[in-house]
Amino acid sequence: MKVSVDHDRCQGHARCIVFAPTVFAIDGEGYASVREGCEQVSSQLQESVRSACSNCPERAILISDD
Amino acid sequence: MSGKTPLGSDFDFHGNALDRIFETYAHLRDKCPVGYSGKHGGFWFLTKSEDIFAAEQDHERFSVTPSMLLPPFGTDVPLIPIDIDPPKHLAYRRILLPLFTPQAVDKLESGIREVARHLAKRVLDARIADVSHMFARPLPTIVFGRLAGYPEKDWPKFDAWVDEIIYSRSADPGRAHAAGRAVMEYFSDLLSSRKDLDRADDIIGYLLNAKVDGIPLSHEELLSYCYLLFLAGLDTTAWAIRASLWYLGQNPREQNRLRENPELIPAAAEEFLRTLSPVQAMARTCKKDVTIRGQKISAGQRVVLVFGSGNRDPEVYDQPDEIRIDREDNRHLAFGVGIHRCLGSNLGRRELVVALQEFLSSVPEFTLADPAEQWHGVGSLVIKI
Repeated sequence: MKVSVDHDRCQGHARCIVFAPTVFAIDGEGYASVREGCEQVSSQLQESVRSACSNCPERAILISDD
Repeated sequence: MSGKTPLGSDFDFHGNALDRIFETYAHLRDKCPVGYSGKHGGFWFLTKSEDIFAAEQDHERFSVTPSMLLPPFGTDVPLIPIDIDPPKHLAYRRILLPLFTPQAVDKLESGIREVARHLAKRVLDARIADVSHMFARPLPTIVFGRLAGYPEKDWPKFDAWVDEIIYSRSADPGRAHAAGRAVMEYFSDLLSSRKDLDRADDIIGYLLNAKVDGIPLSHEELLSYCYLLFLAGLDTTAWAIRASLWYLGQNPREQNRLRENPELIPAAAEEFLRTLSPVQAMARTCKKDVTIRGQKISAGQRVVLVFGSGNRDPEVYDQPDEIRIDREDNRHLAFGVGIHRCLGSNLGRRELVVALQEFLSSVPEFTLADPAEQWHGVGSLVIKI
């Protein structure tokens, strides 16, 4: 599983860091990104990342299967 | 055409209309998902989650001018940044963003906790207590008053101003505007008194030193920020705390579950925000003709996005009217979405969570003195311990 944040959609709700704080980070203006090296999601974090994705109000978290 | 009044033509989302509004929402979503009400000068309304999310995220077609608020908050001055469209909007919003990130709110948490604990102890001592007056309202007043730099001696005046501007605006706009003028005057004086002070350790000080495109903010711009922050920072958080206690007072089982498992409180807070949201709707104006579910809405017309209805849309949530404190996948509209997402959402959420944690750890099982008490607003809520 790969994860990314669509920076055009993210509006800084910061829900993602509630569900997967080791995968996402928030910048000084409140916008989210995937932490460096975390784009490829390990199997034990996949459920958390899916929760972050389904709770993102802006649908700014993108998950792909490769 | 029959003489029958069209469905939704008297739809309102203020005052007594809120008493049974969840039934109204269910009916409208089912029979009239896009409708027209003659209230407040006439407005279209959207009640389906999907339509509301789409409109919120579409600032090309939906403008926030003349105001996101319907009726306005006791003033015709556009409030910065919520009543400002792109391209000017981002520069105005950007100034405030660093003050309300999760990291910034982390630094406030111990202060919030201390205030919440102190207020909860007073509730405990009283045994029979109006928790709106003693807890839900003073908490954000103290927390935000300190953060923003409102002198403590002025705090006792704030509740009456909020009541008149926010809660009288529908029934008595004249009264709301009179209070609006008083608040503008208050902040105008406060800003003038602060002009010579070179300190930036509160929001007013920060704004006095802030620049947009290299230019310091004008007195009018500063006043607009102050006015909005005052109303947004106090009332919504108080409502969210009061509404959560309203629910818990009637549901001792869930109350004890949260008391015994405080780690469940953040998810419960999301559920209270979804179902009992302080902001039931926000308005837009169509910039061009749009068609939603087959209904044409013309450029220039007002459109109300009914967050409270979207938050209970059965197409999105399983058993939407049921408050499930451990609900998963709770993507709701309590703070709006798109470029005008509530700027204080991280602070509001943290205040709500910490308030509930401290309240439940200090106060043993409680019930409502009057079970018929309304869920909405910031009016009294008496509990018995």
